[in-house]
Amino acid sequence: MSFEPKILGIACNWCTYTGADLAGTTRLKYPQNLRVVRVMCSSRINPSFIFRAFQLGADGVLVGGCHPGDCHYNTGNLYARRRLATTKKILEFAGFEPGRLRVEWISASEGNKFAEVVAEFTAQIRNLGPQAKLKIQE
Amino acid sequence: MTEFKKIEENLKTEATRLLKEGLVTVVLAYGKGFDENHPMPYAAKTIADVENIVFNEYCNYNMARYLVRYPQGTKIAIAVKAADSRAVIQLIQEEKVKRENLVILGIPVQGMKNPKTGEIIDSKTTCGMYNPVLYDLLLGEEVHGAKSASPYDVLAEYEKMDKEARWEFWKKEFDKCIRCYACRKACPMCYCDPCFIDQSKPKWADKAPQSPGNMMYHLTRFHHLAGRCIDCGECSRACPVDIPLYLFHKKVAKECEEMFNQAAGMSIEDKPVLVDFRVEDSDKILE
Ligand code: SF4
Ligand code: SF4
Ligand code: FES
Repeated sequence: MSFEPKILGIACNWCTYTGADLAGTTRLKYPQNLRVVRVMCSSRINPSFIFRAFQLGADGVLVGGCHPGDCHYNTGNLYARRRLATTKKILEFAGFEPGRLRVEWISASEGNKFAEVVAEFTAQIRNLGPQAKLKIQE
Repeated sequence: MTEFKKIEENLKTEATRLLKEGLVTVVLAYGKGFDENHPMPYAAKTIADVENIVFNEYCNYNMARYLVRYPQGTKIAIAVKAADSRAVIQLIQEEKVKRENLVILGIPVQGMKNPKTGEIIDSKTTCGMYNPVLYDLLLGEEVHGAKSASPYDVLAEYEKMDKEARWEFWKKEFDKCIRCYACRKACPMCYCDPCFIDQSKPKWADKAPQSPGNMMYHLTRFHHLAGRCIDCGECSRACPVDIPLYLFHKKVAKECEEMFNQAAGMSIEDKPVLVDFRVEDSDKILE
């Protein structure tokens, strides 16, 4: 059987989620490997969400937020940037592939960028293959 | 070399004075254990308690660990070595204690030893500083001219490992974990109640000492200590199965210093790096 990556998307309500909507309403095609969870702001994302997603079998996690300076709550994504950068370093030092976590700033009007990022990230995860390190084996 | 007996005497003198004058209600220091090599954390509350105070090269405990146990406003005197003073600073930054409620008894010291192995720990498993960063009184001679090693030197051989080797290394280490939580208990920065790992709604991880739960506990704990760990090394010394937690904490500290230009617990004017930001932080750190 060919490998179909399972990718968790966590998108902020005001920019990336709306951008995803725009990609949908403009009928842009992008891989169906992404399942999106909406949060109010990228700063809502507890790093444990990401560790847990990998444990529960995600092959990749894509986090989307407003561009720095554009966060609906002004500074949420500036905190998130530091926090998620740290998450990535921790995964990396543990010997996990840091490339399985990606953070992108995608505005509400960037439906195109959303579709491109999803396509690119899906291809990258396909290359990395199934994620087995953190996944809990039954 | 550090004169441990002299420091012990000074500690007793100061403790007696502070308690007698009613300036503090408790003095956090070290007390007699079952033998020389195993002193214990000790809280002296009366003048009679003071005679139990000891100080020797095995007094590794970071007494800052006990500050958060007293209600805010309690007047406390605390004996601190270099890393311990950084923990006090970090706790002040995090508004867990107020500077004005503390009398900080600084202890410059060189040649602390790990009671389990007898080996000198100065920069290997601790932050490599000899003099306290913040204090009201210094109980010994400042250490000058000691060979200063970077606290990150010990990382070199681990940084050379490739990704797969690192994964194997840590997986093997975390699989040993029996989830006694001594690391958390020893750590001055682990004060959350309840700790995420004890929560059941949401349940973040299994409580059984098995691979997945252990992994979740440790990765998350490293994250919660990012930019806050002051590298005292107590977690690793407390661990009954000798997991080298200090290596991971040092690595995260090093990365945080590189990304955010600030080391933990160096100034009470700082803010912890993860509850702070700069507009000019670069997106490069996300790559
Ligand atoms: S994580 Fe370990 S080295 Fe860091 S402050 Fe806590 S006990 Fe000390
Ligand atoms: S002290 Fe060691 S064995 Fe106990 S929970 Fe911490 S890492 Fe695990
Ligand atoms: S609301 Fe979009 S990142 Fe804060």
